[in-house]
Amino acid sequence: MNIVVAMKQIPDLHQIRMRDRQPVLDDVPLTLGNIDKNALEAAVHLRDTHGGKVIALSAGSEELEDTIKEALAAGADEAFMILDDSLDNADSSVIAAVLAATIRKINDVDIILFGEGSGDNYSGQVGSRVAGILGLPQVGYASSMEVQGNSAIVTRSLEDGEEILEVELPVVIAVMADINEPRIPSVSQILKAGRKPQEVLELDDLAIEILEEPVVTESNLAPETPRKQVVVKSVDELIAVLRTEGVIGR
Amino acid sequence: MNFNLTKEQLLIQKMARDFAERYIEPVAEQIDRENKIPDEIIEGLAALDLFGIPFAEKYGGADGGYDGYVLAMEQIGKVSGGVAVTISAHSLALGAISTFGNEEQKVKYMTPGCQGQHILSFAFTEPGTGSDPKQITTTAVKDGDYYVLNGTKRFISNANFPGAIVIFARDNESGKITAFIVEKWTEGYTVSEPWDKIGQHGGQLLDVYLKDVKVPVENVLGGPGMGYPILQLGISFGKVGVSSTALGAILAAYEETLKYSKEKMHRDSSIAKFQAVQLRIADMAIKYEAARWLTYRFGCLANEVKDPRQFAKEAALTKTFVCETAVDAARVAMDIHGSYGLMNDYKVARIYRDAIIGPQIEGVSDMQKMIIAGVALSSY
Repeated sequence: MNIVVAMKQIPDLHQIRMRDRQPVLDDVPLTLGNIDKNALEAAVHLRDTHGGKVIALSAGSEELEDTIKEALAAGADEAFMILDDSLDNADSSVIAAVLAATIRKINDVDIILFGEGSGDNYSGQVGSRVAGILGLPQVGYASSMEVQGNSAIVTRSLEDGEEILEVELPVVIAVMADINEPRIPSVSQILKAGRKPQEVLELDDLAIEILEEPVVTESNLAPETPRKQVVVKSVDELIAVLRTEGVIGR
Repeated sequence: MNFNLTKEQLLIQKMARDFAERYIEPVAEQIDRENKIPDEIIEGLAALDLFGIPFAEKYGGADGGYDGYVLAMEQIGKVSGGVAVTISAHSLALGAISTFGNEEQKVKYMTPGCQGQHILSFAFTEPGTGSDPKQITTTAVKDGDYYVLNGTKRFISNANFPGAIVIFARDNESGKITAFIVEKWTEGYTVSEPWDKIGQHGGQLLDVYLKDVKVPVENVLGGPGMGYPILQLGISFGKVGVSSTALGAILAAYEETLKYSKEKMHRDSSIAKFQAVQLRIADMAIKYEAARWLTYRFGCLANEVKDPRQFAKEAALTKTFVCETAVDAARVAMDIHGSYGLMNDYKVARIYRDAIIGPQIEGVSDMQKMIIAGVALSSY
């Protein structure tokens, strides 16, 4: 069984500093998204149970050749990378087109795994878009999964309960962060990661047309909520103010 | 000159940090209290190759170099000095076998050690001497295909784990010091209860009693009478681990200080706003960076030792600076914590008790300075 895990190269969120309400990304090391690592762990578990191989798939700037070693150390058997500097900040539709075209090239894929959202923008669109382009069924919010014969049994974690679906392979599945705890790779696995098979593609290698990006990200900041800055000196006064504001006593 | 870590080095550092934070930190206080590392931590360290980072893959190691070793050890040492010093002492013995052992010895004794099934020991110190070979009283008497060892070894790390122990003894015939690879728990090998030492709990020190311990002739390490060179170079390699452990303590002291100075309020303001606190934080930042790059450089030097005497000097100066700095940093961290720093409920108290061990082990600081001065003066 061949499993593709789509993984996004992002700046290490722990090391980003803010200046003038903008993230400072200079010299911030790149890593792979956290939930993408959950998807990889799920894939490695399936491979260890059913055999086959795990292919890490990612599109991004040339630093990706280094970043992808994280996936290869953590259990991926090989990697496909599409390298272009424009891809690090590309729109979801562009990334989906690039990934889908590459998956077609890989061929013979049974399961395509995504993290529910990327570590930086968390738009959560790429998995659905790839499924749409490839004409495959797609399951989101997966909290567990197993494969039986030619089907995947996927538990979806929804707000008001769980839903268990049986889906025929090949399928696109987006996993939640709580599906597992990604393993910590050993020193040997880290040092051998760079020696695993890696296929590097450029945009020209893919028969796709990149349209002008329809979505422009203006800001990733949380919306500012204006504060009323009311100062109270007693609990009674606080209750009175909250009542006036309609926060309590309705 | 390039001070950037490679992706692999960054991943080794992150691996050790993740393991330390996820698995060791929750039991670090328990390790300190019980002076014992839980089995599952030992198993976890073994699974990540942390017992064999710098050693060759053909002997069970990870081939990660001493540069990879320092990066991992700093992160382990930051969370638990006792766990780090256990790996350090084990790696000291492995380093001696790796450098001076023959092929058969390396395969037989390094492989289970690098894989963490065995935890090795290095036994030079005796009740009467810490580093003077002339005062070694443990004896080795040749009897056919065996040597018979008798004596007492003091403050020996990991002496109660299974595995090999490198023992230094005076050859009765030549009067010279010879190193032997002995399998712990062989007949006549017994140990004391662990010493109740001030810090680095979990890293147990025991006395080893040798009563007519029979060691096959083929277990002589490096040849008869080679004990002193093995001690010198072996201890130099051992200082990589001790320095990295102390570096972790500096980082821990520094981070605890940053955290506490922002949390602790005085008259509606965090104490981090006070210049007196800021100056101490700046001093710690300066010293941490200096210690860090000195230790990382030491790791790189250990990968390819060209001149054992020069390497002994580099080892001595790094170990002295980093271990002394760890004590300074822990002391300043306690100052920032005020009376709370004296309480065992606060991590900084443990950091201090761990740090103060460093300047005393694997050669006290004054002895290190004599090595440094000796090499410096002789090569001028």
